[in-house]
Amino acid sequence: MVQYIFHKADSRGHDHHDWLDSRKTFSFGDYYNPRRMGFGALRVLNDDTLPAGKGFGLHPHDNMEIISIPLKGSLRHEDSAGNKAVAAAGTIQVMHAGSGLFHSEYNNSETEVAEFLQIWVYPEELNTPPRYTLGALQQDADRNRLHTFIAPDKEDGIYIRKDVWFSTGYFDHGTAFTYPVHQPGNGVYAFVIEGRFAVDGKELSARDGLGISATSGIEVKTLSDDARLLIMEVPMNIHP
Amino acid sequence: MDHNISLKLLAIGYDPAIMQVVARLLNSHAGWEGVTALTSEEGLEKISSGKYDAVLLCVGVSTADEGIFRQAVATHHPSTIVIRHYGGGSGLLENELRAALDHHQ
Repeated sequence: MVQYIFHKADSRGHDHHDWLDSRKTFSFGDYYNPRRMGFGALRVLNDDTLPAGKGFGLHPHDNMEIISIPLKGSLRHEDSAGNKAVAAAGTIQVMHAGSGLFHSEYNNSETEVAEFLQIWVYPEELNTPPRYTLGALQQDADRNRLHTFIAPDKEDGIYIRKDVWFSTGYFDHGTAFTYPVHQPGNGVYAFVIEGRFAVDGKELSARDGLGISATSGIEVKTLSDDARLLIMEVPMNIHP
Repeated sequence: MDHNISLKLLAIGYDPAIMQVVARLLNSHAGWEGVTALTSEEGLEKISSGKYDAVLLCVGVSTADEGIFRQAVATHHPSTIVIRHYGGGSGLLENELRAALDHHQ
């Protein structure tokens, strides 16, 4: 039987510092909720705002797939593997922490805030070499269809593991579509970036999340104009 | 779980720079005492000679090594919790410990 778990936007954990405002769908940092430890291999979904010029100083990571989706402004990335890049809205940054690296992420602007989603997925293998990829997302003009940007097949998106697909899209009011699960047993986590949607008939507003498991596909209907949805299909077990 | 509970923790990982950060984070938490082991040999020695509330398996520890450490803990101190720490001294560290200890109680 299909199972649903609903995470309303205002039920998320909230940290506010002078350098970061963060809304956390799942337990992270000082926010701990034993019923919010992730959704399958999806472990972190943070909705972060960095004031102008502020950011995360140099710090380490290992054995995690760390995906950043800038929503407004841009992030300036540097890491100990020698990568330097600016990830602006309309791009996606994927850091495979693997056997370990240090990195920093700062708002690249001295005048405007930067907003981004920080998403972590458990890796399929431990201690593999780190890698960094900066990719493009579809633009607002290419509307009313899902665009897959993370996929096992490199032709379709950036690879993070063989059983994970991430897709997003901008939709007009009334647009409806079916998202078929790629791999049996996977779950789907739908996160509304902007606007309103009905997912399997359940209404979601901006920054609400709905996890769906034991399903072969979900039905999506757009309930507002200028709506944007992120769909994350992940295995329900941490390890493959 | 009491947020300020006293815990003695062993973190095993093979990247000294990352483990330095893990140790700093563990020891910055009130009531927590964290020590590190930077090789498998040092990890096994500390497991056999000391008593810890939890052993964290960190950067570089393979699934094969994990099995060896879990076996050593089961042999010497079966009440000790073994946790795979992901992320490298990240925002998951305290969460992983709290969840494991909550589950253990």
